[in-house]
Amino acid sequence: MPCLNTNYFGSISFDPQAVIEFPRGLPGFDDRRRFVAVQFEDSRPLVFLQSIEDPGLCFITLPVLAIDARYRLGMSSEDKELVGLPVSRKIQIGADVMCLAVLSIRETGPTANLMAPVVINLHNYKAVQAVDTESRYSHQHVLVPEKAALCS
Amino acid sequence: MLMMARREGETILIGDDIEVVIAHIGRSRVKVGIRAPRELAVMAREVKLVRDENLAASTRSDKAFSRLLRHLRPTISSPRG
Repeated sequence: MPCLNTNYFGSISFDPQAVIEFPRGLPGFDDRRRFVAVQFEDSRPLVFLQSIEDPGLCFITLPVLAIDARYRLGMSSEDKELVGLPVSRKIQIGADVMCLAVLSIRETGPTANLMAPVVINLHNYKAVQAVDTESRYSHQHVLVPEKAALCS
Repeated sequence: MLMMARREGETILIGDDIEVVIAHIGRSRVKVGIRAPRELAVMAREVKLVRDENLAASTRSDKAFSRLLRHLRPTISSPRG
């Protein structure tokens, strides 16, 4: 298996079959096309999107459903076509795609970009950051501890 | 903010180099054509928000990385989903 040098995880090996390809890159990183999704036992359900081309580029993400179990994915026809998803059918998170929200650290705590999730087609590993212009979700959704934890 | 009423097919000029054409008016959306110098970035506002967010989110320092992990641990209690 090929190895990849990273700034944060050292050298990691990866399956070439599992490389995620962003045909258009991500906004702000248009020339970064190939990533791997890295998970660690003690940091689940976090998913680290590590660039293959840039050892220092890594996005920390969470599956959108871990943030909002009723999350509704909105994608433009253009984005669906870009990653080879059917335009006419509703896209199922889990069955058709993996859907990840990119996290940011702020003074006040972490936020998640639910307005523009990273959508990975599970059948061909092509991906796009789907900017939903009609989204009801924030690009800076505040992550708060679960209510149950606050009450106890 | 300057407000202008325009019909389908009509154009607005911004300075000498920028042309904004109202290409199509639908029920809830308008299609706008923009002709501008190549060096000017033209994008939907949402895309700029996402770009700025990505730049902030990309972990460029080890410190930010460990700080985020520390912040996150207590907020995630359910590995389901």
